[in-house]
Amino acid sequence: MKGGSVARPDNMSGDKGADGPRGSRQAPLLVAPGDDLGDSGELEAGHGVLAINGRLRALKQGRMSNRGGTVSIEPRRTAYVPRPSDLVIGYIEGCTSNIWFVDIGAPFNAILPMSLGPSKAEFGGIRKVLDIGDAILCRVQEVEENHSSVVTMKGMGLRAIRAGSVEDIDPHLLGRLIGRGGNNLRQLKEDTECRVVAGDNGRVWLDGDLSGIIDARDRLNALLTEAKVEEYRGDA
Amino acid sequence: MGGYGDVQCIDENGIRLDGRTKDEVRPVHIETGVVPVADGSARMTWGLNDVIAAVYGPMEAHPRKIQRQDRAVLDVRYNMAPFSTTDRIRPGFNRRSREISKVTAEALESVVLTELYPRSKIRVEIEIICAEAGTRCAGITAASVALAHAGIPMTDMVVSVASGKVHDIVVCDLNKEEDNYGEADLPMGILPNSGEIVFLQMDGDLSPDQFQEAWDYNMEAANVIHAEMVRALKGGDE
Amino acid sequence: MAIPLVPKLLRAHLAELAAEDQRHDGRGRFAGRDVELELDCLPRAEGSARVRMGDTIVFAGVKFQIMTPYPDRPNQGGLMCSAEVRPVAGRNWEPGPPSPESIELGRVVDRGIRESGCINTEDLCLIPGEKAWQVILDLFAVSDDGNLFDAFALAGIAALKSATVPGERFGVGEDRPLGVAKTPVMCSYHKVGGRFVYDADKREELGGDERIHITLGDDDHVHSLQKGLKGIFTAAEFAEIMDEARSRCAELRDLIDEKLEGE
Repeated sequence: MKGGSVARPDNMSGDKGADGPRGSRQAPLLVAPGDDLGDSGELEAGHGVLAINGRLRALKQGRMSNRGGTVSIEPRRTAYVPRPSDLVIGYIEGCTSNIWFVDIGAPFNAILPMSLGPSKAEFGGIRKVLDIGDAILCRVQEVEENHSSVVTMKGMGLRAIRAGSVEDIDPHLLGRLIGRGGNNLRQLKEDTECRVVAGDNGRVWLDGDLSGIIDARDRLNALLTEAKVEEYRGDA
Repeated sequence: MGGYGDVQCIDENGIRLDGRTKDEVRPVHIETGVVPVADGSARMTWGLNDVIAAVYGPMEAHPRKIQRQDRAVLDVRYNMAPFSTTDRIRPGFNRRSREISKVTAEALESVVLTELYPRSKIRVEIEIICAEAGTRCAGITAASVALAHAGIPMTDMVVSVASGKVHDIVVCDLNKEEDNYGEADLPMGILPNSGEIVFLQMDGDLSPDQFQEAWDYNMEAANVIHAEMVRALKGGDE
Repeated sequence: MAIPLVPKLLRAHLAELAAEDQRHDGRGRFAGRDVELELDCLPRAEGSARVRMGDTIVFAGVKFQIMTPYPDRPNQGGLMCSAEVRPVAGRNWEPGPPSPESIELGRVVDRGIRESGCINTEDLCLIPGEKAWQVILDLFAVSDDGNLFDAFALAGIAALKSATVPGERFGVGEDRPLGVAKTPVMCSYHKVGGRFVYDADKREELGGDERIHITLGDDDHVHSLQKGLKGIFTAAEFAEIMDEARSRCAELRDLIDEKLEGE
């Protein structure tokens, strides 16, 4: 098996890794759902981890890490779940006389009320402002308990997207795309002379010369391929 | 469960038609990422069984009436491809498939944290490409791996396996002849990390001792299969 | 099949690419994705094939049944071809009775194979007027990333060519190869951004217009044509893709022959 063994009751009594995830300097481990990650003790359960009866259990497939006492799993894939103030790219799916319905790639889709839209429309003219199939850059205004969400286009830079291309990546790869302090994203923009806007829902807007967009897309695809290859290796 | 037929499923040395001893599991192999357009997928070969499972979602639940306000719905479909058996299966509605889809959904709902995605739906598609015996078990097992591969949070994976009885001998992991000519079949869905059960069916005739023996075989087999599930998830895509 | 939302931006972007003679994945206008063909992959079928074109994956399986010949053709067996795209294959494919899309798929592939005359139906007759073989070709999609038509047609003919008539199991003589004399092959062209391209993927299908499917036989004879979806095309456009189809079909035919020889 690649990637090293997992701390489980049956292999934790051995001489190495006996204290499970507690040794915070060890290489991240690959885990599968249901894997026992050791005694919870002082440790916090982070993303993809659940504390059950004093023990930590993996809920997802991915790489386990212990950062500052929080044990979490970087998953292979995550579904996008909206949170207030997320910047997202959505597509207009439908409308009534004063509401647009927006696909933001979440398990439950969003609404954009006319009052939060880009401009007021005459009665019956809502599709002149934003039509079905249009892409928009918007922010999540609120998310209700039952996951219906409201998006807004009132804010700096929020607008209808009329040019360029939108590419999809997994939301958990955004960190890799943006890089430490935004370095990778800045580099991508400089190299390709493109405007690059990464939505929190994993949709990335590329805008610029056609050759720049093609170049930027190639780099995005390279990043996805790289992530896929690393998926099963313990080394992050 | 019919009579014996004239098929001798196990010889006097305790060796079965496919060369296994009575407590042995058929060869199992699992691979992930076999449906590239899905959010998660797995293909499981188990003896001659060949099963593909794909997961889509969580996504908006349509039609609206299937939505649950407090959790996601697991929309599970088990289906046998027309060429999966010796006699062709006509596509279309099938009571057996419906029942298996239902019990599979209920087994998986016991481990998936559906409450994290209210009003949405997670689609689980199980397609039997080639059938030997125990396709429902292979389906549940493959679906568990596909759910894990899709990043759906779950407290454990379900391992399903069926033991049974043929010529009054309890055997582990029934093959086609044993399923056809045997006297009992006990499929179970087991959570390997805790030994708890989330799926249980049985038909046929078992004495209390035989029942316990079949139960124990399933528990042991679950560990063997679980090791392969974990290897597939940690070992490599495609 | 649920009708997916077509982003306007995608259509505009594909048109922009087309104007520069480019495709979004860097392929040439008439370049196909890599094709993988595997034979005899389904142990319960009498003939089978698996085709992978990019991220599109399909299976084809051949089964046999004994039928009573049709009264008007008492000395002929039958061929039936059915395509099923179940929801496993993609987000927009739905459960339930076969959708018009999957019925069209099955019928277009069926016509290409049937009309090429590659199967001698008289060969399938066992007792005239009483007993004959019915050959059933089932096409099954596992993953739909566009151009299921070509994948189905390729898998279908390859499965038939590798099929064995199960005489022994049915107690009507010995097992023998089905004997498929010809190799009809399909090539599909989609109009994307105002011009036809070969082997469109899902994204190009989503942001494209009409499609044309051409099935050619061994001697470049045309056996089936189908224009699908909304759109208008000219005679000159058709002549161009017909020309392309001739050379591409020959390549795919070579691939099938190569695999069959390797058996």
